[in-house]
Amino acid sequence: MTLGVLPVTKSPGATIEMRRADDASLLVRLGGAWRLTNRLPRVDDVDRELDRSRAPSVTIDLAGVDGWDSALVVFVGAVLDGCRARGIPVDARGLPPEVGRLLQIAQETAAPIEQVAPRPSGLERVGARALQRHVQLGDAVAFVGDTALGLGRFGGRRARYRSQDLWLLVQQSGAEALPIVTLVNFLVGIILAFVGITQLRFFGAEAYVADIVGIAVVRDMAALITGVTLAGRSGGAFAAQIATMKVTQEIDALRTFGISPVEFLVVPRVLALTAMAPFLTLFADATGILGGAAVGTTMLHQPFSGYMRQTALALTAGDVVGGLVKGATYGLLIALTSTLQGMQAERSAARVGDAATQAVVTGIVAIIAACGVYQYVFFLLGW
Amino acid sequence: MGDEVISVRGVTMGFGDRVVIRELDFAVQRGEIFVVMGPSGCGKTTLLRHLLGLQEPAAGEVRYGDESFTSAPPDVRERILRRVGVLFQGSALWTSMTLAENVALPLEQFTSLPASSIRAVVRLKLSLVGLGGFEDYYPWELSGGMQKRAGLARAISLDPEILLIDEPSASLDPPTARRLDALILQLRDALGTTAVVVTHDVATILGIGTRALFLDGEAQRAIAEGSPSELRARGPAPVRAFFAGSVAGP
Repeated sequence: MTLGVLPVTKSPGATIEMRRADDASLLVRLGGAWRLTNRLPRVDDVDRELDRSRAPSVTIDLAGVDGWDSALVVFVGAVLDGCRARGIPVDARGLPPEVGRLLQIAQETAAPIEQVAPRPSGLERVGARALQRHVQLGDAVAFVGDTALGLGRFGGRRARYRSQDLWLLVQQSGAEALPIVTLVNFLVGIILAFVGITQLRFFGAEAYVADIVGIAVVRDMAALITGVTLAGRSGGAFAAQIATMKVTQEIDALRTFGISPVEFLVVPRVLALTAMAPFLTLFADATGILGGAAVGTTMLHQPFSGYMRQTALALTAGDVVGGLVKGATYGLLIALTSTLQGMQAERSAARVGDAATQAVVTGIVAIIAACGVYQYVFFLLGW
Repeated sequence: MGDEVISVRGVTMGFGDRVVIRELDFAVQRGEIFVVMGPSGCGKTTLLRHLLGLQEPAAGEVRYGDESFTSAPPDVRERILRRVGVLFQGSALWTSMTLAENVALPLEQFTSLPASSIRAVVRLKLSLVGLGGFEDYYPWELSGGMQKRAGLARAISLDPEILLIDEPSASLDPPTARRLDALILQLRDALGTTAVVVTHDVATILGIGTRALFLDGEAQRAIAEGSPSELRARGPAPVRAFFAGSVAGP
């Protein structure tokens, strides 16, 4: 057989040489070490040659191959597939029996095509996403209803939960959050005092910084900042805990015992956070005022007792109670949004992270929206 | 001494002060399917973790070929482990990735193959385990048996010289477990891979094991080594009881 020389591709380790015979058949000669870790010739070259030459038959010669792994199996398989698709007969010379066996296993164990569900198109995915959002919205409404019913059963002592879990959650959401709540609110008090002094100085009214800091902290900032802190701390943790329990089928296990996951997991978290948030807010009020006092006493040289007396005169009981109500509302919203995100998470480790992120984001958005609503309502009421 | 792929010399394993197995000695020969068997809690999976460097032996050493793994620095360990593929008991697939991405990751990290070649290798590996066409599925969309097979596809993605398999039949129904056994045998025959299989499933031990080691948790040592059928017929009493009890079933 006389052969005409065609393009040759050589890579370090693996080589391929293609030649045309007088009868126009194509000889593909492989040599060297065909290993995944080497640079390998591309099967596209053979495909292009098959298309260009319209060869009536193909011979693959593997006699020169002196080392191989899956790289050779993939290449030979692709050439065989290409020839099969074009109806070209192919003869593989010197094919290692193991390569033939691997190709055979791949074909034998391939899933029948009808078992493979078709992947949805882009448009279908958008539609599916929209429907999923719709379902999630319905689930969220149902979840709030279930939680309300669960709280009712808790009030009637009919809820299934473990009291030690509830107390542990109270400790985690309350006492263990104190250091971070203290730090953040103290710093916020300092910031408010600095801003207040800077602006009041234009009017020679720096002495009123205690009023400004006291009212801002007690009416809004303490509850808001504590809420944001709790959203990041407790909200993220609640979502991650429940989502992980979903991944590990612990929630399915609860259901199979006839225990409502809402009663067992959601209600204790809602109660713990809603109950602890006002206490933390009260504590935040004190530390925020102390932060302001630190600035007032050092920058304005006001006596500490005078600063505190002026703060007390500026505040009313309504300010304090209003702040505590806001704190409780934010706690409730954070608990609801975070446990909902956990319950809606899919069964995958990545979705646990997503649930925690979503819990923090929706929690913060919810408390800021609620803050806006409270401002408007209090404004209308003249408080 | 034959062609030893893995050798375990005088290894004592434990957790803190609690010893699980003392002075373990055995070697795995090239091309064999070496089974580590024994009742639950005897230290089988702990041994696998020692072979992978996920736990350090209290005494003794693990060697791969003529290199010490136990005393090797991290870069050498990494190079040695590149020759090893692992199928974990729970598959341990990365759930945020599709099956194709799971199999492709080691190829992307440790070869210079272009994306098209990686896709072709991924298709081959998934086809080898009967999951051709499931490239775009996420692990959580699959059954337990399919996840196991996908885990095997990922384990063989780099054509490892050694395959470590932890409880291949755990949580699988018997027909699926036998199909996975057959697949392990086929891959061993076709790729020439050496396999260490940790299991307490008698059907798997007798079906694919060329040699077996029996760990006795109470005695805190390996009490028998040999071909599975020989151990079942003429092994020490606890080994025969293990086979008999498992065969008879509860």
